[in-house]
Amino acid sequence: MSSIALKSFLGLRISSPETPQFSYRPKPITHRRKFTVVAAATSPKIDGRNLRVAVIGGGPAGGAAAETLAKGGIETFLIERKMDNCKPCGGAIPLCMVGEFDLPLDIIDRRVTKMKMISPSNVAVDIGRTLKSHEYIGMVRREVLDDYLRNRAKENGANIINGLFLKMDIPKEKNAPYVLHYSSYDGKTGGVGEKTTLEVDVVIGADGANSRVAKSIDAGDYEYAIAFQERIKIPDDKMAYYEDLAEMYVGDDVSPDFYGWVFPKCDHVAVGTGTVTHKGDIKKFQLATRKRAEDKILGGKIIRVEAHPIPEHPRPRRLSGRVALVGDAAGYVTKCSGEGIYFAAKSGRMCAEAIVQGSANGKRMVEEGDLRKYLEKWDKTYWPTYKVLDILQKVFYRSNPAREAFVEMCADEYVQKMTFDSYLYKTVVPGSPLEDIKLAINTIGSLVRANALRREMDKLNV
Amino acid sequence: MSTTMSMSMASFSPLTRISTTYSSLSKPHHHPNHSNNHFTLTLRPKNLPLLSLSPLRASAGTSDSAETAVKPPPENISVGTNGSASAVPVAEEVKVSSAFVDPRWVAGTWDLMQFRKNGTTDWDAVIDAEARRRKWLETNPESSSNDNPVVFDTSIVPWWAWIKRFHLPEAELLNGRAAMIGFFMTYLVDSLTGVGLVDQMNNFFCKTLLFVAVGGVLLIRKNEDVDTFKKLLEETTFYDKQWQATWQDENSSTSRKD
Repeated sequence: MSSIALKSFLGLRISSPETPQFSYRPKPITHRRKFTVVAAATSPKIDGRNLRVAVIGGGPAGGAAAETLAKGGIETFLIERKMDNCKPCGGAIPLCMVGEFDLPLDIIDRRVTKMKMISPSNVAVDIGRTLKSHEYIGMVRREVLDDYLRNRAKENGANIINGLFLKMDIPKEKNAPYVLHYSSYDGKTGGVGEKTTLEVDVVIGADGANSRVAKSIDAGDYEYAIAFQERIKIPDDKMAYYEDLAEMYVGDDVSPDFYGWVFPKCDHVAVGTGTVTHKGDIKKFQLATRKRAEDKILGGKIIRVEAHPIPEHPRPRRLSGRVALVGDAAGYVTKCSGEGIYFAAKSGRMCAEAIVQGSANGKRMVEEGDLRKYLEKWDKTYWPTYKVLDILQKVFYRSNPAREAFVEMCADEYVQKMTFDSYLYKTVVPGSPLEDIKLAINTIGSLVRANALRREMDKLNV
Repeated sequence: MSTTMSMSMASFSPLTRISTTYSSLSKPHHHPNHSNNHFTLTLRPKNLPLLSLSPLRASAGTSDSAETAVKPPPENISVGTNGSASAVPVAEEVKVSSAFVDPRWVAGTWDLMQFRKNGTTDWDAVIDAEARRRKWLETNPESSSNDNPVVFDTSIVPWWAWIKRFHLPEAELLNGRAAMIGFFMTYLVDSLTGVGLVDQMNNFFCKTLLFVAVGGVLLIRKNEDVDTFKKLLEETTFYDKQWQATWQDENSSTSRKD
């Protein structure tokens, strides 16, 4: 990372005689075609003010981006439509997020150190034995986390605006500003907001799965899963079981291509499931999930029902001009586990860092090439993680036999260690080759056995 | 933006209480007055299956355990379908028999002692029993319980049992196919070129044909497999293409922006 930074600054100094011109000089076309463009060298210096960046959406992605931008000396505007939004979300954050984003430990409601995977035939496997005492999965309330990140951004100098983003005017000239139209709710109590406009140089779209910024730049659509969740308040003795344990249910009854879950929250559990291919049957899947967890949530009362789309893959276009998408708006949710909070915050931060560097702390105008650096870095750093999870989903969520094999594999200590290491620290760790070979053989064995049983099952009652 | 959520919440507002739907996932209607009772009732019936295990096991100590095991599941299915159609009092009966019951299924796993045949464990019977259990659970999903956890692992059945039962018949089939194809192709090549079997084996082209024939027999076992492989190839690279999409228009979009 430091070498990239060095390159752009070096570029500035080397060609400095020709750079201090802020007229709209057409850039040489050759720069555009090159991948690793050192755009800051030829971008005009802004006169009299800092670069203005708007971050649309105040979730983890928006909050992290706004904080990094504000720290970098950029005039930041964070537009969020509902400051106390209680997002329907699993709420699980990996350990590395606490360190990387300096999260205070009191916003973590629970530390999950045990997980139970339950196969279609109810074989239950406990995972988490390999976790060290300081390792855990943090369960947070989204409203608490989002609020904390936004406040930190505010403390660093970002302007937090309570408003609903409506649309954006794409500039016609090269360095003209983007005009954002939004309904401002600031200073109003209820009712319709006041239509306001804001001129900025760069826009970061962090407004989630139904992103309007993405629509404005024609980013294209993605396939998405529907995640449906019921928050259930269960009796205290049952809640004690979920003190530090989360459950994952797999099976065709629970979801044809995802999993059902019971995650503990602050004082209740969230029971939910999701699907991409059979969205119409989501209620049926939810009933099945509740049935599978029935004994453990007996006597519970549903206090809230929520649903939300989860992107399955990135949008075809994550960047256009000086508008970049981050987080769910870009589609950075992993397959297999459906994890999005960490990647949202990290992508927000990465994008903001690219803007800070490309603009030399807000002194120069950025252009698309600077923002592309964020995409490049992101793809390079996290592509292995995404691909591995995609492969896991394709192999193990295919059918009931595959899920049975999956749960059987999870009983293995090596698998648990690898899984948790890669989940908690977000790096694909290469394990020992001998263990990998053993694991491969065991996986194939499990898959073969489960499929053989499935063939027997098909012969019965046919 | 919030329309999805508010729409879904509006349509789900009737579901303010948990309601059970035993053995009928397709009928999500519930009995509002009795929903709470359902939970207290379930605690009692759950014990009954355990009780019924012991008398059955006592009588099934001998080799006719297989026969008695067959009877309970069919009974359960019939009572279940009758029970789900009627009102609450009969529903209690449904809950009793809705769990998977088998005298050899003890403490969440198969009791291998009960599968003995001529002094050794009858692995085929274990495989059959597990297949039956999974089939049962597919049509009558059960709640996973902490008191009776399922701890069965298919790897307790030794590898040679799996091979004998599943691999060998298939291997016989495939070898038969390969042999038929091989014999016919050898005859054809010999009649066309005059090259005998031994000389064919020394020829690179013939060896390639042999490789293709064996590979084809192994991979394409049903007609549908041809399509499956084409889709598989596309599937492996699909995700990569989705990620690369944003780079594809890097050149086109920047030149448009000019």
